[in-house]
Amino acid sequence: MTDRTKSKLLIALLGITLLCAVVTPWLGYHLPQWDVIFRPGADDMDAIIFWQIRVPRVLLSLLAGAGLSLGGVVFQALFRNPLATPFTLGVASGASLGVTIAIVSGMHFSLLGLSGTSLAALSGAILSIALVYGIARASGKLSPTTMLLGGVAISFFFSSLILLLQYLSDAGSSFRVLHWLMGDISRASMDSVLQLAPFIISGVLIVSLLHRELNLLSITDDMAASRGVNVDRSRHLLFFAVSLMVAGIITVCGPIGFVGIMAPHICRLIIGSNHRFLIPASLLFGATFLTICDTLARNISSAAEVPVGIITAILGGPFFLWLLLRKNRSLP
Amino acid sequence: MPTTVQPDPTPIIQASDLNLRIGSTQLLDDACLAIRTGERLAIVGPNGAGKTTLIRCLLGLTQPDSGRIEINGRPLAELSHTELARQLSYVPQQLAERISFTAMEFISMSRYAYGGGGGGGGGRGAGFKQADEEGMEATEQAIELTGIGHLRHQALSTMSGGERQKVSIAAALAQQTPTLILDEPSAHLDPKQRDIIHDLLAKITREQNISLIVITHDLNWASADFDRIIGMKAGQTMVDAQAGAFMQKQTLMDIFDADWLLHPHPESGRPMVLPCPSLKP
Repeated sequence: MTDRTKSKLLIALLGITLLCAVVTPWLGYHLPQWDVIFRPGADDMDAIIFWQIRVPRVLLSLLAGAGLSLGGVVFQALFRNPLATPFTLGVASGASLGVTIAIVSGMHFSLLGLSGTSLAALSGAILSIALVYGIARASGKLSPTTMLLGGVAISFFFSSLILLLQYLSDAGSSFRVLHWLMGDISRASMDSVLQLAPFIISGVLIVSLLHRELNLLSITDDMAASRGVNVDRSRHLLFFAVSLMVAGIITVCGPIGFVGIMAPHICRLIIGSNHRFLIPASLLFGATFLTICDTLARNISSAAEVPVGIITAILGGPFFLWLLLRKNRSLP
Repeated sequence: MPTTVQPDPTPIIQASDLNLRIGSTQLLDDACLAIRTGERLAIVGPNGAGKTTLIRCLLGLTQPDSGRIEINGRPLAELSHTELARQLSYVPQQLAERISFTAMEFISMSRYAYGGGGGGGGGRGAGFKQADEEGMEATEQAIELTGIGHLRHQALSTMSGGERQKVSIAAALAQQTPTLILDEPSAHLDPKQRDIIHDLLAKITREQNISLIVITHDLNWASADFDRIIGMKAGQTMVDAQAGAFMQKQTLMDIFDADWLLHPHPESGRPMVLPCPSLKP
């Protein structure tokens, strides 16, 4: 596939993403009147459903999907491991532990417009980032293997603590924890969109500026260094940019799974491994995919909304098997 | 013991008294190396002698405990990552098979140090900033020289070992450095592919006046195609001599702890060796 074809493909993908963004707010049990788009501030039922519930939700799923997918692309390249996800380094389990503690201990407070659970999630995520970084630093250079193993070990440790806390708590708290762990965009509001946007924008900017470094790092560190890449600095920048971005997403949406592992692989199969094209493709694909999944999540059952994490996993699980059976034809 | 070659007054790379110890292993023990423009230098020695560690130090990939490395008269530590990448390019022993970049993408990525090489995969010059027309030219030249025009848009993961090695050399050439460092470039290739790579390297040094530093276990290649040979053992650069002077029974026995038969090449007259395991104690 030539670069020109890839560029055309990206434009087509952008079109699909925009179409998805425009159409999905209309889909749902209640169909708002079309003229609601001219009344963003109104307080009638149509305007509230459209502008205060569905539009923020679509915006949030676009942002989160793009960010998770980009996180997967970067970690898969950085750790040269097709199984890496944005959560591999323990960010999700750290955030989950924070939330579990907050819910089980019945904390109710808010600070700077963030709820108690959000704050707990953010603190947990940052704690796990610091732990993984500390472990990698203590063992010398930021070696991919040490970081991966450190992240996996921390994930397991935190997960067992979460299970312990759930086991010891009452059924109500336990269910709330479980619900949070599945990932959920239903609590979206314009505030949460605005809180998340800076995390995503800064992450996307940093990663985009480092696309040439990512290409070389995805081969080997030695190759990157011998071509002139400052490996240590690039690795630091990418690790922190993506970790903070993912921490932001988890804080707002919970640990939505599978987007971060499947979206990068699909994009790589279609558009190739060159990060100049892979980065924009995965942003657009991830955004579209999560938005469609969330639209399904809120419409699939008339009784209650299904957490979006279940939908992404149901679609992602079989894909994952297919990927494994297909063997690494185009893995990083 | 053969006489040691006097270091050139103005070598482009000079490493002296490099020491590196990891745990209880002395990886480098006062190792020295110097190379002049256009010179072809082979490094030989048994496994674990420190050959790869020595070139990793030159490339800035490994930090020696002590010693000096100067490139064009400047200490290695003073050079930025990109400055070093404009002086030395590196062909690793073998590229990983999983690399899914196309040859063109992979080669253009070696223009990183010049600000180019977004890793274009498309037509001519794809992936370069407009300013890096020189990069486009260097890439095309490298592709032509290595004869891999037909592999341009093929993914590395689908190539044979010999093809991948040519792409790897083309990428190092596109980096436009005065010195090329190769780690066992033909060790895993069949005899025909090995000859192709050897001819290619000879052509490169002949036509472009590029200096070569090559690690190899192929003593006959070292004898035939190189100006100088360094023999390493236990982290020391034990012998550093002109190829002809190096290829002597006693020298080889000292370095490899094995016995050898030496015989002049029927055509070139350069010394050739045959290992004779039966004579081992």
